[in-house]
Amino acid sequence: MSTELLLELSEVTAGYGKMPVLHGVSIKCHRGEIVTLLGANGVGKTTTLRTILGQLKPRDGEIKFNGADITRLPPHKTAALGVAHSPEGRNIFGNLTVIENLRAGAHLLKTRKELKEHLDRVYSMFPRLKERRTQIAGSLSGGEQQMLAMGRALMSNPRLMLLDEPSLGLAPQLVKLVADTLTEVNRTGTSVLLVEQNARLALEISRYGYVMEKGAIALEGDAKELSADEQVKKVYLGIA
Amino acid sequence: MTYFIQQMLNGVCWGSVLAMLGAGYTMTFGIIGLVNFAHGEVFMAGAFAAYFALHVAGLPFGVAAVLGILGAIAIGLLVERIAFRPVRGSGMITLFITSFAASIGIRTLFVMLFTDRAKPFSMPAFLKGAYLIGDLFIFKKTIAVVIVLVVVGALLMYLVKKTKTGIAMRAMSYDSETAQSMGINTERIIIITFIIASALAGVAAIMWGVSYGRIRSSMGMMPVVDAFIASVIGGLGNVFGAIVGGLILGIGETLFVAYLPPDLIGLRTLFVWIVLFIIIIVKPSGLFRANIK
Repeated sequence: MSTELLLELSEVTAGYGKMPVLHGVSIKCHRGEIVTLLGANGVGKTTTLRTILGQLKPRDGEIKFNGADITRLPPHKTAALGVAHSPEGRNIFGNLTVIENLRAGAHLLKTRKELKEHLDRVYSMFPRLKERRTQIAGSLSGGEQQMLAMGRALMSNPRLMLLDEPSLGLAPQLVKLVADTLTEVNRTGTSVLLVEQNARLALEISRYGYVMEKGAIALEGDAKELSADEQVKKVYLGIA
Repeated sequence: MTYFIQQMLNGVCWGSVLAMLGAGYTMTFGIIGLVNFAHGEVFMAGAFAAYFALHVAGLPFGVAAVLGILGAIAIGLLVERIAFRPVRGSGMITLFITSFAASIGIRTLFVMLFTDRAKPFSMPAFLKGAYLIGDLFIFKKTIAVVIVLVVVGALLMYLVKKTKTGIAMRAMSYDSETAQSMGINTERIIIITFIIASALAGVAAIMWGVSYGRIRSSMGMMPVVDAFIASVIGGLGNVFGAIVGGLILGIGETLFVAYLPPDLIGLRTLFVWIVLFIIIIVKPSGLFRANIK
């Protein structure tokens, strides 16, 4: 495994209005890794992703991606550097068809050939999307919408994929599909920063993990170590 | 029957003007939720640009038409820059007020500079005349206007439905923030939308000039209301719907007047409101599902 640094947050402070949510968060993600961000509801996981994307401007600290400073970059430029996002609640474009959603995700691709190539790749990962390609995305089931959100993020062939709660509300079978897909995506060269409530799943497929509490990193370590940690076991894995 | 068809044909030009204006309206509404009342002045400015090219500079009709469209684009972008960009993100009411202000400001400026007297807009020779088929007069200009409507309408549908930019527009109208995270430059999409909407207003202006042979500074006032209603009828945010809505209104209004006793001609404008009320009561979302919004 290469240890080249892909994403680095150093002491990032950010929030909404006057209310700070993140208090000096530092996270590292190396090339080729799946890194997990664990934590209860409302501790700032989604805010962390939004700050990386540029949807939220940090008040303090620095964010580097692939060696470049992206701290204050607008979202579409961050995306152009190779950061894709599969948002919490999926946020698919409900007015577009499945294939149009995927084409929107492929906005940064230059040629038709690339488009075709990535479309085929996403269809092979999620054959269901191919079956439903002309259907209006708003009429898909929750699981299909999750596949679409992931597929859409993958269309740009990103260096880094930010995934927010991909297993939320999914049937166990689909959770497994999501996990397998992530592993597969990761193998083909895309690094993943995963925000998950399902800690068991997340730690299983990740190499490294962070635990967030009240807007700060409370604990970090190799996924295996975290799985063995008494506190993590108790609070996040539900093992007494 | 002949009278009915003749009146329908007469209404086609007016309907086409409304269709082009309505399509532009519906696009800016879909993308930034803006009801742009200055759209009528963009239309008027396009007509003036073509008029100056044609009658002052003495340029050929084709060149004047292109300059008319460019003139409309220039004013449309100016309005975006001055009236909308500084207040982007504020509520609908703010945008409503600034668009009204821009509308009144531009119109008043034109009235001051050029008065509100009608100016001739002469048709090129190839559009003069008519074919007599049975008892029906079919004007060449009507045929030309319909051809332009179909071609421009088809191009527009292709752009919105099939191209990368069209998909980006529709994605953005649904969820701007998510669209941005796909690498879509929303500022750029807004500018492109304004360029297209203004160009459509320019096309409408040329259609108007050819159809009625004269233009004036206040010419945008009435069509802008009708075009807005056309886009509501078609389902705000639906380009195809706005075109159909424009044709329904334009042709309907002409028929309405044609069958009204001469004393009641003044009730012409009532027609659009009647149609609007019927639509709002029967199908408030408009005839078609929004495809931009």
